[in-house]
Amino acid sequence: MFATDDTIVAIATPPGAGGIGIVRVSGPRAALIAGSVLRGEAALEPRRATLRDVIDPQSDGRAVDRVLATYFPRPGSYTGEDVVEISGHGSPVLLREIVRTAREAGARLAEPGEFTFRAFLNGRLDLIQAEAVGDLVEAVTPLQARVAFDQLEGTVTALVADVDRALFDLIARLEASLDFPDEGYHFVEPGAVAAETRALADRITHLLGTAQQGRLVREGCQVVVLGRPNVGKSTLFNRLLGAPRAIVTDVPGTTRDLLTDTVDLDGIPVTLVDTAGLRATRDVIEAEGVSRARAALRVAYVVIVVLDRSSPLGPDDLGLLADTAGTPRLVVVNKIDRPARWMPGDVDALGDEHAVVSVSLLDTDGAEAIRAALAQALWTGERLRDTPSISNVRHIDLLQAATAALERAAGAAEAAATEELLIADLQDARRALEEISGRRTPNAVLERIFERFCIGK
Amino acid sequence: MTTHFDIIVVGAGHAGCEAAHAAARLGCSVGLCTLSDETVALMPCNPAVGGTAKGHLVREIDALGGLMARAIDATGIQFKLLNRSRGPAVWSPRAQADKRCYGAWMRDALRRQPGIEWILERVGKVVVDGSRVKGIELESDGRAGERLSCDALVVTTGTFLNGVIHVGPDRWPAGRAGEPPSETLASSLKAHGFAWGRLKTGTPPRLDRRSLDFTRFEEDLGDHPPVPFSFLTDGITRPSVPCHLLYTNDRVRELVRANIDRSPLYNGQISGIGPRYCPSLEDKIMRFPDRERHHVFLEPEGLDVDEIYVNGYSMSLPSDVQTALVHALPGLEDAVLLRPGYAVEYDFIQPTELARSLETGRLDGLFLAGQINGTSGYEEAAAQGLLAGINAARRVRRESPFVLRRDEAYVGILADDLTTTGCLEPYRMFTSRAEHRLLLRIDNADLRLTPRGRDVGLVSDARWERFEARRERFEQNMRRVRRTTITLGDGTRARASRALRRPDTRLADFVAAGELSLCVADGQDHVDMASVETEFRYAGYLERQVKVVARARRDEGRAIPRGLPFDSVPGLSREVVQRLTEVRPETLGQAQRVPGVTPAAVAVIGAYMGRMGRMSRAPLREDTDRGDGPGNQRGR
Repeated sequence: MFATDDTIVAIATPPGAGGIGIVRVSGPRAALIAGSVLRGEAALEPRRATLRDVIDPQSDGRAVDRVLATYFPRPGSYTGEDVVEISGHGSPVLLREIVRTAREAGARLAEPGEFTFRAFLNGRLDLIQAEAVGDLVEAVTPLQARVAFDQLEGTVTALVADVDRALFDLIARLEASLDFPDEGYHFVEPGAVAAETRALADRITHLLGTAQQGRLVREGCQVVVLGRPNVGKSTLFNRLLGAPRAIVTDVPGTTRDLLTDTVDLDGIPVTLVDTAGLRATRDVIEAEGVSRARAALRVAYVVIVVLDRSSPLGPDDLGLLADTAGTPRLVVVNKIDRPARWMPGDVDALGDEHAVVSVSLLDTDGAEAIRAALAQALWTGERLRDTPSISNVRHIDLLQAATAALERAAGAAEAAATEELLIADLQDARRALEEISGRRTPNAVLERIFERFCIGK
Repeated sequence: MTTHFDIIVVGAGHAGCEAAHAAARLGCSVGLCTLSDETVALMPCNPAVGGTAKGHLVREIDALGGLMARAIDATGIQFKLLNRSRGPAVWSPRAQADKRCYGAWMRDALRRQPGIEWILERVGKVVVDGSRVKGIELESDGRAGERLSCDALVVTTGTFLNGVIHVGPDRWPAGRAGEPPSETLASSLKAHGFAWGRLKTGTPPRLDRRSLDFTRFEEDLGDHPPVPFSFLTDGITRPSVPCHLLYTNDRVRELVRANIDRSPLYNGQISGIGPRYCPSLEDKIMRFPDRERHHVFLEPEGLDVDEIYVNGYSMSLPSDVQTALVHALPGLEDAVLLRPGYAVEYDFIQPTELARSLETGRLDGLFLAGQINGTSGYEEAAAQGLLAGINAARRVRRESPFVLRRDEAYVGILADDLTTTGCLEPYRMFTSRAEHRLLLRIDNADLRLTPRGRDVGLVSDARWERFEARRERFEQNMRRVRRTTITLGDGTRARASRALRRPDTRLADFVAAGELSLCVADGQDHVDMASVETEFRYAGYLERQVKVVARARRDEGRAIPRGLPFDSVPGLSREVVQRLTEVRPETLGQAQRVPGVTPAAVAVIGAYMGRMGRMSRAPLREDTDRGDGPGNQRGR
């Protein structure tokens, strides 16, 4: 974990050149250090962007850059400490100069995630929100950003707190029945316990209903394009990317290695994988490519099987259809601009397959049809109307643990179990909920969460 | 030349008796100071021992080698196992005591214990040398100013520190009815800068048995056969007597309301904070106006005594109102009041001043136990007395403190709660204070704690032999049940271990039906059967709790070095530093329970300790300075 008594500094904007770049300073000496970096007698006014020169103390007070500096006094800042944000011109060299100057004035270079950790430590964010910050800055699709922002705003926090509060109240009533047996009354009826507990479990289950899709949005997925040689896999790959990324020729077996690239498909960051055509071959390089294609199949979230309608279906095609029968897949029947040698309806292996798209990839409409069908295949189940609210695997695991404990409690209550057992299950559920929000989270977990952040967050 | 003892114990109430006994059994010379040997182990309030969670404490005291359970088994006049309709983790024994016999039994037990010298004197101030306790000074006539020296001092003064009794508008300084308070001792302790506060408790009027119409009450009988407290007791031989139940009525309500401004509790005369869970009659009527009636139990104070205790009727109203309130109850129209009820206010020391060994942080060698630490209840006091006695002896012998974990004993929870969170009102034990309640049961108190008591040196050879036989029976019975399949009511066969998970199955029924035979010792079936049955009934739950305990134990086991300067731990807010400096948690787990301390703050302390450990074992400041002067009141 981090030390947190000193003042830290880091570039908060991404590496590389930009119009502006921000250096963030946080800690008890932030204002002092900023003062020694910036020219000008007067102290920075709280929450007011001020134009200042950055001076280099090593070279007789020569100005390094002209910047906008804003001072956020504690506790109303991002970290809860004194914070100064210096917006300079976005040259990496200049920004590094500002950081160097701040370090010479006594600041320490921040560790990854340290600003957010300090915000968590000072109670500015709970653990869910801190994790959302990480997600927000890493978002590559707008939907990812929206999900992360909702979590930062506290949608999950509020629900978890809500369920936790209801649980606490229920436990309190059960405890009273145990601790004051002389009073001769039940503070809660056994039937009511089962009903209340199920209602709470249902609320979490409802939330978890969006979890799979939430995870998909947060983590993205791999879509692997498979097919025998020369059926049009690389063309499809290029079409979906919208760029000629893979080399396309008429020579079967042009693609030898796995080619990957990422595309935003309906908000999901999809990593497309183009593969070597599947066939028996004596070529050592091509054989390695074929075995890599088969390996890629194992990590695929969805498989796109490409078939060529203008040539007869061979054992390689049927074998592939059999191998992928257990995986969510989209079957693309290509080359419908040429004379058909078979029809999808006649192929047993395609039987009642829903996701079959017949296209000509030479045609741009074909790519659109595939894009739509792929989105359909990714958004399994009901199409989302709202953005998913749960996306983090750690939250999902703990919410599932909470639901399981609640179900146990409800089952036990229905079987007329005594209060102390119901309370044991309800406490298990609370323990899981409090671990989500960070109210009761083991040390090791905290460290892992904050290690994920990049410097400056 | 002053008289020297290894240990001096001030007070011979429930805490003092256990402390003196434990210390003497561990080989220390003990001076036991009490105003009179007529008031040893007195029950100034309810003539009863045990109750929910309190019964657990008594079983644990017994398992460790203490006295309380044997005393009540020998002198109880009605025994009941509470919460029988719930599961075995919350079963708790309770018994009515023959008050005088109980005190006499305890006095005789202490008289028989070698190493205890009785000092029937009044204790004045505490004598110290720097931050070390050196002894006490007497202040009773004739011996005033005489000093007795000791290596460790256990103070168990109950409600005596600046005690004031209130009956209506009348008030007078007293520790208990008819006994003078300890004022010199109070100011002597406060002079050392201990944080302190003021609490209040109360007791009901006592009635003359001969003046009551018993035909008008519901009878409340004890269990037959009675379940004893002590693992050494094979059966209760004394006769069982009934208690009687009646209810408050509208007349009571009117009387209280009409006279509420004459109650010191309501007119501002009392500032001390009373226990919410044991409300006075005034509080019951005023705070719960919707409840039509409240229980009132008439409890005999002994077999051959005419005094009747009116449980549920504690009050501090003027005597004339008390008489009217008693006469308002059906059957009590002609009752003769022997003594009025009263409220007593007293000083206590914030127990955050203590380590979990119950030694104070300010004065080495000073231990506090019982109501002086803000608790209420004879059982809570006795448990602390036992702990303080053991640890005082260990300090004299320069051994490490004896600390029980929260997942191991209610005694451990008691010490941890008090020293970690302090008291805002009189502290009473509840089973809900235990995170792992299913593990802490009366049926396994000996399995949990007798080995610990043996290690400490408190468990006699006789108790140990008996325990080993009992543990052998337990393990054998567990094996037998695991091997057995039985026939269920519907004729199907099932494993006994599975069938016992259902709440309506009883191990005793399997035995009676000849499905299974178990080893059960004479008079010990209540322990032998219950501990086996419960292990199976709770099977899945126990496994889960054991896992949670194991996970938490990593933090519980990480000791925070004594004197760690929290103000130099980076990143902690001033409030957190202040709380931690006051409480001085001994482990990371305890630090997490200090109110206002977040998991993140604890993570930072853990990281800091890791860094300190890596850095050449730099010496830590032995003592942190405490900014607060003497006499400042906290805990309100």
